[in-house]
Amino acid sequence: MAWLAGCATMGPPKKVPYRLSPQGIVIWEDEFEFVPPSPDWKLLRVEVGENDINFGFMKSDPGGYPSVTSFAYDEEPFGCATKFEQREKEFFKRFLFNAILQFQILERKNIRVVGGEGLAVTVEGKDSVKEEKVRAKVIFGKRGDRVVGFYITQWRPMDGTYDLSAFETFDKFVDSFKFLKKSFYETL
Amino acid sequence: MEGHQRNLYLYERFNARVLGVSRDDIITLKYFAKTLDLTFPLISNVTAFLGVSMDVQPEGQPIFGRRTVIIDKTGIIRYSREGSPDFKDILLFLKKMKQEGRLDPTTGGKP
Repeated sequence: MAWLAGCATMGPPKKVPYRLSPQGIVIWEDEFEFVPPSPDWKLLRVEVGENDINFGFMKSDPGGYPSVTSFAYDEEPFGCATKFEQREKEFFKRFLFNAILQFQILERKNIRVVGGEGLAVTVEGKDSVKEEKVRAKVIFGKRGDRVVGFYITQWRPMDGTYDLSAFETFDKFVDSFKFLKKSFYETL
Repeated sequence: MEGHQRNLYLYERFNARVLGVSRDDIITLKYFAKTLDLTFPLISNVTAFLGVSMDVQPEGQPIFGRRTVIIDKTGIIRYSREGSPDFKDILLFLKKMKQEGRLDPTTGGKP
């Protein structure tokens, strides 16, 4: 599976943080498992730090700039509250903050995720100055007492068309996502 | 700061309290706390004496450098790390201190 596409280097091969089960399920650092997206999605991995995602996937889409879709799992989404409704308010104060967007909520619904209750919020943001827009879906779930997040963002020029099949890929990723062990915080 | 706010329930478990200290004035800190929904105290140290005592006041700079300091119940600094907080490291240290009784009010933090 050609996931980690990129420039070849002459250095020693880096240890990858995942392995594939015989069924094609990704086992990530022996902590999570999920169904991977198709090979046209490139893996994103961020060094651990506050307000960074854990890992995600990105692909460039046809069309003018910006046409890109990415989705990610975040162990510590923006905000502090453990109740979803309050966390949603805190989260959207900072989500895509640098883009200075006006968000409109397209849908909000309670769902089941990672074996428990969750909240899914779909939004659209527009920047009329840059003539860009983004459709995003944010899913909050629980890992122990703490809120975790999954999000997908799809950027387009203002007259561009969204590709909702990417959101189906994201939903499949989220639906398949499982925790394989307790988190650091649950073991304290 | 959000990280500390998220971990407040864990600090409570280890009988620890968190304070933020900066050189900002009170009005700025009030706005900062409100924006991030912080519920722990933020201390305004405009004259910088606290920062100087903790060695986080770079010479000629108007703001403190980042440092996390853990002080036990007897007032002894048990932990001091420069840079952004390593929350997992902090929590593990607090857990250890709790187990050693350094944060227990009934023992007065005696080793």
